[in-house]
Amino acid sequence: MKAYLRVRCNKEFLSTIRDFVRSKLEEFEVYGATSSQIVLAVDEACANCMIHQHQCDNYSTIEIAIYREHGVLYTEIKDTGKAFPIHEYRPQQLNDIVRKKGKGGLGINLIHRIMDEIKVEERRDHFIYRLGKHLDTATQA
Amino acid sequence: MDINETLHGNYVTLSPVGDLDANSSVHFDQKISELFASGQYNIHVDGSSVPYISSAGLGVFVSHLEDLTAYGGKFVISGLSDTVTDVFRILGLDQLSNLVVVKSDSEVPSQFDS
Repeated sequence: MKAYLRVRCNKEFLSTIRDFVRSKLEEFEVYGATSSQIVLAVDEACANCMIHQHQCDNYSTIEIAIYREHGVLYTEIKDTGKAFPIHEYRPQQLNDIVRKKGKGGLGINLIHRIMDEIKVEERRDHFIYRLGKHLDTATQA
Repeated sequence: MDINETLHGNYVTLSPVGDLDANSSVHFDQKISELFASGQYNIHVDGSSVPYISSAGLGVFVSHLEDLTAYGGKFVISGLSDTVTDVFRILGLDQLSNLVVVKSDSEVPSQFDS
């Protein structure tokens, strides 16, 4: 069973997304540190879409889907904005980010460290960012 | 986001209340910049009322570290939940010399004495 949430590209709705993902993870019996990390990764991906792909345009929306399949927890973000090749991104070294006095790169770094599968699928009029977490190898402390 | 501020001997304690995400971290960033502008580079953050942190919240610390180091200052962060501490650990922020994560407030003054 897939659960869906559609929100406007307004950062105020990030907490709504986190609450939605948290509650659905409970229904899919994903708890503890694994749940917290998936919530974080989805928050990072959605914030990235809102800020960089839509410039926080309140009239644009993104749709989040979450489902569990064969021991893998998937979240999908459907986005009509310009695609960001998140799966091709190479995380920067922390010391480089510190030296540049920047904030960028940390969110993508977190997504890559937390999730086991990161894919971008191009459809006719939108993109889907699919993030997968292998639950059989995750520690659900 | 509410941020309480208390001046101690040679450091300031900031106590943010609420999630530190892409929406709220702007206010926290402004507060840190204000402290820097006033010459205060020893900053204790009481994280006991921060239930969630994202990369935007972490970015506030990371983006100020170079200036902090140049002026001999330090961030000391206390009272974090296990969940929030885990986010610092995932990125290796708990290994930086001028960003110290301690369990309780009782460890804070000694961190600034050194």
